Amino acid sequence: MKVSFQALSRHVDLSGVTTDRLAEVLPMLGLEVESVHTFGLAPLPLVVVGEIVSFEKHPSADRLSVCRVDVGDGNPRQIVCGAKNFKAGDRVPVALPGTVMPGGFEIKVSKLRDVDSAGMLCSSEELGLGKGEDGLLILTSQQPAPGTLLNKLFGAPDTVLEISVTPNRGDCLGLRGVARDVAAALNLPLKPLTVKTAAGLATAPTAHDAFGFVRSSSEFCPYYTLRTLKNVKVGPSPDWLRRDLEAAGLRPINNVVDITNWVLLELGQPLHAFDAAKVSGGIEARPAREGEELVLLDGKKVKLETGICVIADAQRPLVVAGVMGGTESGVTNATTTVLLEAAWFKPGEIRRVARRLGVSTDSSHRFARDVDPAGVELASRLATDLLIELAGAEVVGPAVVVGQPPRADANIALPTGYVAAKLGTAIADADVTQAFQRLGFTVSSTSTGFSVLVPSFRSDVTRPIDLVEEFIRIHGTDKVPAGRPIAPLPGDEDTRSSGFTREVAIRLAGAGFTECCHYTLRDAAEVARTLGEAATPQLALENPLTADQSHVRASLVPGLTAALALNVSVHADPRGLFEVGVVFRPQADGTVREFLAVAFAAPAESLVRSWKSREAFDVLRAKRLLSDVATLAGVTASRLSFGVATGGLWQADHASSLVDRGRSADGACGVLDLRWTRSLGLKGSIVAGEFLLPRSTFADALRIPRFEAFSSFPPATRDVAVIVPTTTAAGEVLNRVQQAAAKAAGKEFALESVNCFDVFSGPGLPEGTRSVAFEIRWRHAARTLTDEEANRAMATVIAALEKGAGWTIRS
Amino acid sequence: MQQQLAQLVATAQQEALAVTSRAELEAFKARVVGPNGSLTAVMKGMATLSKEERPVVGKLINEAKRSVEELLAALLLKVEDAEISAALGTPWDATLTGPDAPAGSLHPLTRTRERILASFRKLGFTVAEGPEIETEWHCFDALNTPADHPARDMQDTLYMPKAFRSADAPRKGEEALVLRTHTSSVQVRTMLSRKPPFRIVAPGRCFRRDAVDATHSANFHQVEGLWIDRNVTLADLRGVLDFFVKETFGPDAEIRLRPSFFPFTEPSFEMDLRSPNLGRLSNRWLEIMGCGLVDPKVLELCGLDPEEFSGLAFGLGLERIAMLVHGIDDIRHFYNNDLRFLRQFA
Repeated sequence: MKVSFQALSRHVDLSGVTTDRLAEVLPMLGLEVESVHTFGLAPLPLVVVGEIVSFEKHPSADRLSVCRVDVGDGNPRQIVCGAKNFKAGDRVPVALPGTVMPGGFEIKVSKLRDVDSAGMLCSSEELGLGKGEDGLLILTSQQPAPGTLLNKLFGAPDTVLEISVTPNRGDCLGLRGVARDVAAALNLPLKPLTVKTAAGLATAPTAHDAFGFVRSSSEFCPYYTLRTLKNVKVGPSPDWLRRDLEAAGLRPINNVVDITNWVLLELGQPLHAFDAAKVSGGIEARPAREGEELVLLDGKKVKLETGICVIADAQRPLVVAGVMGGTESGVTNATTTVLLEAAWFKPGEIRRVARRLGVSTDSSHRFARDVDPAGVELASRLATDLLIELAGAEVVGPAVVVGQPPRADANIALPTGYVAAKLGTAIADADVTQAFQRLGFTVSSTSTGFSVLVPSFRSDVTRPIDLVEEFIRIHGTDKVPAGRPIAPLPGDEDTRSSGFTREVAIRLAGAGFTECCHYTLRDAAEVARTLGEAATPQLALENPLTADQSHVRASLVPGLTAALALNVSVHADPRGLFEVGVVFRPQADGTVREFLAVAFAAPAESLVRSWKSREAFDVLRAKRLLSDVATLAGVTASRLSFGVATGGLWQADHASSLVDRGRSADGACGVLDLRWTRSLGLKGSIVAGEFLLPRSTFADALRIPRFEAFSSFPPATRDVAVIVPTTTAAGEVLNRVQQAAAKAAGKEFALESVNCFDVFSGPGLPEGTRSVAFEIRWRHAARTLTDEEANRAMATVIAALEKGAGWTIRS
Repeated sequence: MQQQLAQLVATAQQEALAVTSRAELEAFKARVVGPNGSLTAVMKGMATLSKEERPVVGKLINEAKRSVEELLAALLLKVEDAEISAALGTPWDATLTGPDAPAGSLHPLTRTRERILASFRKLGFTVAEGPEIETEWHCFDALNTPADHPARDMQDTLYMPKAFRSADAPRKGEEALVLRTHTSSVQVRTMLSRKPPFRIVAPGRCFRRDAVDATHSANFHQVEGLWIDRNVTLADLRGVLDFFVKETFGPDAEIRLRPSFFPFTEPSFEMDLRSPNLGRLSNRWLEIMGCGLVDPKVLELCGLDPEEFSGLAFGLGLERIAMLVHGIDDIRHFYNNDLRFLRQFA
């Protein structure tokens, strides 16, 4: 909302107030000032009227003219000019040397293409007057004497403050509302608004009205007024009206339209003017019927949604109520009789319809923010005053009204001490009362406190807590002291996942990885690479902004891989990268679950050349890192089971999947699909890992470790080597050894550990087999195990393992 | 005798020069002090001497013995030194660049988040979290922003399709699921699941349907705070925010509460910050966060009695704070992951 200082001064006396002060006051009222700029001609003491005595083409530049200009000192000067829109004898603005133009550019005596030039002939835009016609600002029609200061031809410049109005303050979408707040803040009186047209509404049209009926059958239009104005002479508006509109950023059209717009700016109440000649029968606010269409003022033909409120005549819809008029019924230069509409429409519905149509007009913007029902008739009367004064209109009786104002002034009971209790500091009753009075609220004392009557222009103030805000706006937030010291609440803890998020990042950074942060929204191709084509649509957004941000991410790995590629391309020497964040995965039951994901990726061979080669980052280190991540999350190593990672991001046979047997957590690690990473410009292989944790992982309270007594006697240790087909996973052999060794221990003693210490294939072993060797450790709680016991147990283990298909024991 | 001993010692000293390894040392030792060693032979000769001669010769022998022992000790040191040098290899040049990767680093948003959370933890706030895909009810309705509320125009929202079902945010009836526009939804979940008093901060990722430019991002991070208790006041709000700002921006930073509007707080404020230590943004009021007292309507919607409880809430953007603290001029740096950016925060 653009607020002109001069226009605002019509409502409140700002003679002692600078624009800087105003720009300080407004934000502290909740009216944020986004920009401040000068409107009109800024003071320019060296810009004068000049007469172009003669001119000729520049000797060496086709586009330039060399002009002789009389600036009233009887000594015509030479000025080079690039414009084309003048003739000899024209009066134009001349910026004399020394002028600093509104754009900050200083005019000096200079040469243009070797021709002397002593000043500049100015365009409207160069003078800060906005974009006028192309070329120089021609003043000839006003016949000013050469040498006259240009400022003498223009009024004093105005300052326009662009303020942003929050959705609750519909009242400040009119100057009067802003003035009310400013007056309250500065403790100045609000000037009275004088309207000549008499108040009073009729319930039915008379024979003199240019309409036969006014009805409302739409629930969205509870209150509608219409009046007839005859003998209207449509034409251009006077300068002051045009100026006010332009200061507010509106384009003048004709006096009738300009008057409705001016009243809208003034009071925040949108009005609509119909050409009576184009209205058949009467006016009705009614639900749109199926199949109805309307060509809107912006030229768009729209199919009207059935049930939305339209303003129609006896035949057809004319206007989308409160949003935008149609082309057919609007005021034109030929209009003589005007029907002036002032109404109140349901805010939520106006907002919905405007959004649906994809338009936001000055009208819909205000109706959506709940205009003051008490201002409806006032706006109609003010516009009538101006139509009489500026367009020679003759008024036909009072406005005809249907319905009732939907709300009135509100009475709020404010208990004694309520404001102080919310502020947390002592406040005198008189201060409270005074603040409300300055805002135009009526305060009276009751047995329990105050009764505050809030006028209907403040629809946002309905409860005691709203009055607290009103009070603090006027009283000043700087008067609220900082509150009591605070002690922590016993037993409160951070959620476990937040602690994990922090700790895992520190752990991985300590391991040499740099933390990244990627967008959640990814393109379809990336999700398809991660999850496969079939599952991809499950992660699609309903209304993506762009095609490359159409899905939520299923993995952090593609982002990290892209970051490695980026950093290779910019020669930033990438090493390991990691990220911690939420990813989304479709589940078997048809839902999508959020996982807290931890992922890392690094080139297998360092991309940074070094005088000494170091250990490569291989899949085994990735597996170790991933297990550490799991442990940190409370998923112990014994719960993890590794399998074969299939397809997607991972290279066949060089990556492993990882499942948490206890929960639904899972992950993968290994080499990333080489064709893919090579296509990104990464030459060597990339080793990565990712672990996904559902929220349930962190749901349990942290387990407090319980001490378990351990044996003080030595263990019995035996080795066994199993020859198995190379296709048999080592993990499978390990499981069998563990089971057999545990079973062999029985109830008498216990299996302590099984550790794989050798894997061998080659000479001495049958083709297609390998030997996997384990050390088994048993221990007794209360005594040393005998050799005999250990041997017996070992024999049981061997017997069990020999049952494995194609398995033999190496002796 | 005296001459014989002197000769023996001189010979040993001469031979010692040739000793370079432990084996040579052992052989040398045997030649001199071994059972058949030269010195041992002289000592054996003592037995043949008279009572008078013995003390004199004994003294001489002891002197020779001490010389030889000193010689052996020196030789042992020399041999050990040689062995250690051989074991250690080439001497170390500390000026050579280390070939190992340096420690990694935390992302500046993580650093900023942890710093902010740490300052609120001092005030007894604990961290709460919630899902990124939320129901409309948790994201809007429960926060006093029903469907036709003009405040819904303030933020363009990304929606999930009708068929989308979330395991983490089950929806009621036909309501839509959205990518949360703020972490205030975590406040709603907390109020519904816990009994006051509590103080929480909810860090997390949020989404708006915004085109990406230097100041806008399709996703961004917030930290929202909520304190519910009996008699929580505006003075408490000021106290909490004042503490936070001084923790984050130093003791010279000051704040002002500028009236504003949010559907979920009443009264509502934008908190502005002014600090002398913010480079070219020094000594200017900068908008940092929205805050206010929890609207009674929100308490009611979340099952708390507004007559009994009151609360304060605030929400700030991590990117905004990180940009101010580190002087970063473009929000896209946070998401580009150029190591030349990230390594600056190691």
